[in-house]
Amino acid sequence: MTELKRIDPRGPRFGAAITSVFAIIAFGFSLDTWVYAWLIMWVLFALFALSVFGKNITHPYSYLFQKFVRPRLSAPAELEDSRPPHFAQQVGLSFAVFGVISGFFWPLGVTIAAAFIFLAAFLNAFFGLCLGCQMYLGLRRIGLLRQ
Amino acid sequence: MGPDATLIWAGSLFAIAIAIGTAFRFFSGRGRRDKTSECIDLSKLKVGKNGVLVTEFGKKTTLVQFSTQYCGQCPGVRRSLSQLEYRHGALLYIDVDITNRLDLAAHFSISQTPTVFILDGLGEIKFRIGGVPKYAIIRAELEKLGAL
Repeated sequence: MTELKRIDPRGPRFGAAITSVFAIIAFGFSLDTWVYAWLIMWVLFALFALSVFGKNITHPYSYLFQKFVRPRLSAPAELEDSRPPHFAQQVGLSFAVFGVISGFFWPLGVTIAAAFIFLAAFLNAFFGLCLGCQMYLGLRRIGLLRQ
Repeated sequence: MGPDATLIWAGSLFAIAIAIGTAFRFFSGRGRRDKTSECIDLSKLKVGKNGVLVTEFGKKTTLVQFSTQYCGQCPGVRRSLSQLEYRHGALLYIDVDITNRLDLAAHFSISQTPTVFILDGLGEIKFRIGGVPKYAIIRAELEKLGAL
């Protein structure tokens, strides 16, 4: 196993809060002028993809967190394993991919994707509940996920 | 759809999110009595603690936590249950990583992590809690078993 990266747990939650704002705006637009929603979905797709694949690139969220938020907080009570949030980003990415692709021929898909991304990000940011991590074992057990 | 309808839909989605979060806060970690009265077989569990294979249950009770590597809240639960073990001698705490042991998850029908089992002195499952356990509930169960 490679060296474990440990992170401030408030970082991912701060990112999730921004994501949830994007997602609910996308959800609102998707019922009206849905092209805007689709554009926001592309932005979310890029942000998720960056945190899943961009290993050495500083994510805009973590830049904002380190520059403006972290200095105003007290030291974290504990550091956290970076794998659960990373897995959550992968789940988010799969929803964003669904939204981006369905935008080509099925606008309702954008609405659905935005709603799910909002729910997951909001619950993570404001209730500390990580839906993707909760579902991990269930998804493995019914064979939808592999190691 | 006009702007009003859009706001109503977005507001409903927001309300649903808050309802789910609140319900989750309330119901998660309460647990329930286990009616299977199954005894855990430590030789099948094959779990190590400080590098030594665990072969005996705690004197009065054993807390078994099931975790995965992707579980964000497991390390916190691990810390607080370890604390509890440190304070009470008749209590054994073990942590089982089931990321690669889906057979165990299927056997005990575990669908979320952390899941905590409270066993009596003979290894029989008495109580099971899915999600982050509420401290008062763990205490009450342990008191019933005479472990505190």
